Amino acid sequence: MAGGLRAWLEDGAGALVARRGDDAPPLHLGPRLLLGQADQNSPSLQTLHVAPKREDYPSQVVTSYLVHALFRQLVTTGSVGDPLTDALDALGLHPNRAGLVRHVGRLDRRATSELRAELTNQIGHLRELTPHFAPGWLPRTDDRVAIPLAGGRVVLCGVFDLLVGAPAPGQASLCALQLTSGGPWAFARTALHYLALLETLRHGNPPFRLGLLDSAVGRYVIEDVQQEHLRAMTSHLVTRLAHLADD
Amino acid sequence: MTELVGQAGLAGHPAASPLTVALLRPLRADHCLVSSAEIERLSAELGDLVAHRPGGPFRLTDYLVRTTLWPSANPGPTSPFAWSAGTARRGIGLAAVRSLVAGTTQSPVDGVGLAVSRAVSDQRRGRGPMSSMGQWLATLTVAGRAAVQADAVTWASRLWNSLDWKAFDRPPIIGRDHWWDSPHSSLLAIRSRAEVRGSSTDGRGNPVSVHLVVLSGPRRAAVRSELSLVALAEALRTGDPRPPGRIVGWWPDSGHFVSLEVDQVTLSLGVATVARTVALLGATERGSGAAA
Repeated sequence: MAGGLRAWLEDGAGALVARRGDDAPPLHLGPRLLLGQADQNSPSLQTLHVAPKREDYPSQVVTSYLVHALFRQLVTTGSVGDPLTDALDALGLHPNRAGLVRHVGRLDRRATSELRAELTNQIGHLRELTPHFAPGWLPRTDDRVAIPLAGGRVVLCGVFDLLVGAPAPGQASLCALQLTSGGPWAFARTALHYLALLETLRHGNPPFRLGLLDSAVGRYVIEDVQQEHLRAMTSHLVTRLAHLADD
Repeated sequence: MTELVGQAGLAGHPAASPLTVALLRPLRADHCLVSSAEIERLSAELGDLVAHRPGGPFRLTDYLVRTTLWPSANPGPTSPFAWSAGTARRGIGLAAVRSLVAGTTQSPVDGVGLAVSRAVSDQRRGRGPMSSMGQWLATLTVAGRAAVQADAVTWASRLWNSLDWKAFDRPPIIGRDHWWDSPHSSLLAIRSRAEVRGSSTDGRGNPVSVHLVVLSGPRRAAVRSELSLVALAEALRTGDPRPPGRIVGWWPDSGHFVSLEVDQVTLSLGVATVARTVALLGATERGSGAAA
């Protein structure tokens, strides 16, 4: 199945490359660009390479990064201390998050207090929703996937928040779990299907089960991966690649 | 030089993972190992390359080759090395996989936990050689250390999951870099970086060494040149009685791999890669000297 899906995507990527030219630099596409709503605010190829303002961090983005760091700590060690302090300590070790850490450090006392309360609320939900993963289940966080198409000139990218299980030839043996901290639920589910497709292309098999946690309200959904999900996502991506070529 | 480009998961093999097969399968029956006389000739040729050339001494690594020959592949400003979750994950991850292969730990989580706690403990007790990573880890908070561990667990899990470790006929060597120091010139050394080193056989059943290199960044045509540097250093160094037979480069992000068998063509590519790198580094040195 993976071979057929890849061939389908190669056709879409080929059209995009033909439009951009062989000498154009590789195009790295993630879920934001590929799955975003097709409205005037959705990113296009023209806006893709415009660097965002480095110090511009909407509160939802800040919360998302901090909750994500706490989730990784919870999976890795099973415990979290003061949520804000711990999250900043973790993000401070990633040079590309230095701006965000500075931004939080500049918040006034009230904003800091609200942020800490929000993190406390969300980590409370995560403690309830996240089981202890035995080491033998091989839990790993932030597993990056990058699938090159058209000889590497188009790259489909994504990051699994959590994978459990070991890839086995010919078997769907992984469980993927994704976290959203208050973003659009429908987009998060679609993005999870997108990641399932990338995993299918990477190892030849999709994850057998997907989980989505919403730490903002404490809800979750578990679903099995169906072939129809993968085909629908592939069809969507091919269409999106064609739209990008026309932009 | 033969090149096999594969993708883990799509080349069916009922028992072993495709990457394991690509790494450990015997070399082709008609594979020709490079003679010791030819190795000696290459060694002398490399020594001549750096003689009287500005910019030395040259300590060539795959990273230096990549950033020198293909600077566009590494955009962004270069900054001095500093420990971070990203720079620490490989070293800790390798220590974890080493303990897994040795059977002293049972999972990447346990292996990483052991590696980190040992590094911190050794640092605090002044035991063993001073390690800058150990010093750095000892300064981190619990949350900071957890972030480092999380990155290292993911790195180690990907490597641990990629190979069938029981397929190795003897325990593989995990993550030991090799250096070849030119006997003809003190100005040249070449590093062979590989994450996993094991054994296979040539067409006549003689043992050869095989090397798995974990790659990052985009798939690139130039990767053969990067891997040829490993082949060259392994062929030139005298520490291993087994000649190098194969270098496999593997991208965990995509599951793709590329395999080079070590023959005359591969080693010639390695020498050409060294020559181009040294020439460019020398030219840069001349340019900066003129500017000064």
